[in-house]
Amino acid sequence: MSTAEKKQGLGKVFMNGILDENPTFRLVLGTCPTLATTTSATNGFGMGLSVTFVLLCSNIVISLLRKFIPDKVRIPSFIVVIAAFVTILKLLLQAYVPSLYSSLGIFLPLIVVNCIILARAEAFASKHPVVESAVDGLGMGLGFTIALTLIGSIREILGSGSIFGIGIFGDSFEPMLILVLASGGFLSYGILLGIINAITNHNRKAKLEKGEN
Amino acid sequence: MKGTFRGGVHPSHKSKNPTRGVKTREYVSDTVKIIMNMNIGAPAKPCVKKGDQVRVGQVIGEAQGFMSVPVHASVSGTVLAVEPIPYLTEAPSMAVTIQNDFRDEWVELNPLGDVEHVDPALVIPAIQNAGICGMGGACFPTHVKLSLKPDQKCDTIIVNGAECETHLTADHRLMLENSRRIVDGLRAVMRALDVKNGVIAIEDNKPDAIAAMKQASFGRQGVKVRPLRTKYPQGGEKQLIEAITGRQVPSGGLPIQVNVVVLNVGTCAAIADAIIDGKPLISRITTITGCVRKPSNLRLRIGTLVEDLIGECGGFSEDAGKIVFGGAMTGLPIPNTAVPIAKATNGVVVYNKRDGASVEEGPCIRCGKCVSVCPIGLNPFQIKAAADADDLEKCKALHVMDCILCGSCSFDCPSRRWLTASFKNAKQKITLQAKKAAAAQQGGTAK
Amino acid sequence: MSLILSSAPHIRTGNTTARLMGNVLIALAPCAAAGVYFFGLRAAIVLAVSTASAVLAEFVWQKLARQKVRISDLSAAVTGLLIGLIVSPTVPWWTVMIGSFFAIIVVKQLFGGVGDNFLNPALAARAVLLASWPTRLTSHPAVGFNVVDTASSATPLASMKGISLNDLLFGQVGGAIGETCKIAILVGLLYLLITRTISWRIPVITVGSAFLFNLAVSGSLNDSITCILSGGLLFGAVFMATDYATSPMQSYAQTIYSVLIGVITVVIRRWGVYPEGVTYAILIANIVAPLLDRFIPQKIYGVTGKKKEVKA
Repeated sequence: MSTAEKKQGLGKVFMNGILDENPTFRLVLGTCPTLATTTSATNGFGMGLSVTFVLLCSNIVISLLRKFIPDKVRIPSFIVVIAAFVTILKLLLQAYVPSLYSSLGIFLPLIVVNCIILARAEAFASKHPVVESAVDGLGMGLGFTIALTLIGSIREILGSGSIFGIGIFGDSFEPMLILVLASGGFLSYGILLGIINAITNHNRKAKLEKGEN
Repeated sequence: MKGTFRGGVHPSHKSKNPTRGVKTREYVSDTVKIIMNMNIGAPAKPCVKKGDQVRVGQVIGEAQGFMSVPVHASVSGTVLAVEPIPYLTEAPSMAVTIQNDFRDEWVELNPLGDVEHVDPALVIPAIQNAGICGMGGACFPTHVKLSLKPDQKCDTIIVNGAECETHLTADHRLMLENSRRIVDGLRAVMRALDVKNGVIAIEDNKPDAIAAMKQASFGRQGVKVRPLRTKYPQGGEKQLIEAITGRQVPSGGLPIQVNVVVLNVGTCAAIADAIIDGKPLISRITTITGCVRKPSNLRLRIGTLVEDLIGECGGFSEDAGKIVFGGAMTGLPIPNTAVPIAKATNGVVVYNKRDGASVEEGPCIRCGKCVSVCPIGLNPFQIKAAADADDLEKCKALHVMDCILCGSCSFDCPSRRWLTASFKNAKQKITLQAKKAAAAQQGGTAK
Repeated sequence: MSLILSSAPHIRTGNTTARLMGNVLIALAPCAAAGVYFFGLRAAIVLAVSTASAVLAEFVWQKLARQKVRISDLSAAVTGLLIGLIVSPTVPWWTVMIGSFFAIIVVKQLFGGVGDNFLNPALAARAVLLASWPTRLTSHPAVGFNVVDTASSATPLASMKGISLNDLLFGQVGGAIGETCKIAILVGLLYLLITRTISWRIPVITVGSAFLFNLAVSGSLNDSITCILSGGLLFGAVFMATDYATSPMQSYAQTIYSVLIGVITVVIRRWGVYPEGVTYAILIANIVAPLLDRFIPQKIYGVTGKKKEVKA
């Protein structure tokens, strides 16, 4: 009974990061890398996975250390943990995926100050046991990855006429350059946010009406 | 030099007044219903009862305090009823119904004689006793306006003959037909207040009235006629003062704060009647126009019912949709034709069903026309948004209380928005709120 | 007998939203006609596609959002026609269509529909198109009475030298469909002023300030006259800067707004990387407009700094 309950709880924690509290579309956290690295689906996916890796590791470590970290210095401590993993990630990418490393550029080290990671450390990992924290980190990371890949795909399809670097429209297609420019990032992110809010509101209304009936 | 003001509109309906060249004629109806709360301030208290015989000019309602004027019988005959009737106000108004015996017997009159020789101290009491209140529409007791406090000084009296409202020609006719009396009334007030400067202000679309008033005021001490540019709301008190003197009445203040008193031409003529003949205010000129067969200017006894005067004008020419007391820009709609006219009813305009229909409001396109026409310089579109959100504090901050409800913004709005209506509403709510707050404070200190 | 009870005023002006927008369409007609005359059928197709797709976008959006369909107020048609007039006649039809959709749906409807947009929809659409297909938008055909499929010169402002004033006035220069013939624009301006659709303030001050600023920095009268007669300045000042929703309402604010447009245009033209700056100048001024309205004190009758006197 208790394990089943726990399992359901873990599933909920996992899905929470992907849907209800999607860091990009619902919490609107980490917008800087969201806007900057989604010029293509590959970049968005790569950025998402990088954040997932750091988030998962830092959540686990911070959760393990949560009883030893004094409250007054918790933020610096979290940052130290996160920075360690970002350094590891940076070296790994530089060694094995140099193309992604160069296209993410400055935004890779900037993961250290990514709001999502610090927010999950502060709001979740420092208050929950290891397994739940890991699942939360994974869920949030995947939610971020999905969102970034989605925005990246849209911008890449319309802005470059390809997806994951593979051309899909042929030569006669004239890509809409603005979407791979900075303003295109704002436009597509804003419109996606709007659509998702509209759908959520619509669903909530439908649910309310059902409940009333 | 023609005086004018900033902003304003030019309703095209002004130029085609069918009653412009029509001479005023007298009309006396079978019965009159005289309401007791015609003036702003305390209503009069009826002092006759059913079955009483009354004569013309007899006091039938006594003034209640300083902010009040007496009401006089406008016909001779029998009192049929003293009862509340539905009127333009929310609550019914007390009214005295008199059956006319057509003998036209007057009460004993007490004339004071020539305005140039009358004792100035007697003028203001005579004005109050004659039941005179502002006949331009607001019906503010005239003697209150003229009773200056010791620290107040008046250097100019402006007679408002602008008649900027659409449809109306009553003041125009009065200026043509009774010009001497208007000048007499002005002189009486000038002597009463010891003012050297009297200006009769007339819009330049009435050259005949300007000529007539110039002739009538020839040789009269300190009286001048000033033409004004034709533009609505040129006859608004504040706009008039700015056009004539260049002064601006401070926000929330009264004209006397810039040393000016404004009187309507009708009021001036009534003052002259009260001084020279001793006659109280029992009749006035009213323009009846719109969908009636014979649009006319009628000299009506106060209390004539709308249905009677419509009959005198040949009846409706089309199905009536809306009937308005006053002009098209600021007039008040009446609920039915059994309503009597009052001292301030300068016009009765009948609209057919199509023109009278309420217009549907569209979205604001932010064209800024309301801003450019506002004679006060407000931002009507912003106030409207605040009023729609019921945000009275914001309305106040946007100076809704300075709005004169002239209707220019609503008139010029391409989206047909109900700007003026919502400002009126907001102003009423704010006034009510202030009253409640004052009452609460008073209650608090009493304890 | 029951009478209608409604609040004053009981009469309204004949100028409805639809009539004002209709006036703008009429005022744009000479520009459109001149464009078709100079650039031929291609221009006509561009104008037709841009107008039709703007109206269609508005209709579809209002149906989908279950709003009252207000295409009859003609504001979408005005936006569509404006988009057609500010692009080069050689742009493909799908480009203007995307521009119209973007203008109506993203710039206008997403922000609340007519009156609530904070940017001029037509100019925002042009900016998006310009960023997306820069070569399509900036290759202007050389004007003549020939068909303009192949002939393509550098942007008119880039190769301004050697074009006579006469050519500038009558539109014998390359450029966007609507902005080449200055005479047609002036006819439109005259019509808008006569019908009181717009006031003189914004167009006159915009062009005037551009002229004076250019004169001040270049010192050449000839250059300054060329400056105001070339490119989209005149068209933008008359039809774009005067857009109701995105221009300030107070007269002082309008003056500052117009000067801003004139000066920024010249700054971009002289020192910017783009040869033409009117679009961005107006868009920047659009963003400033609400602030101008808000922070420039109004002159209210009877309201002075000395408030205490009023209370006394």
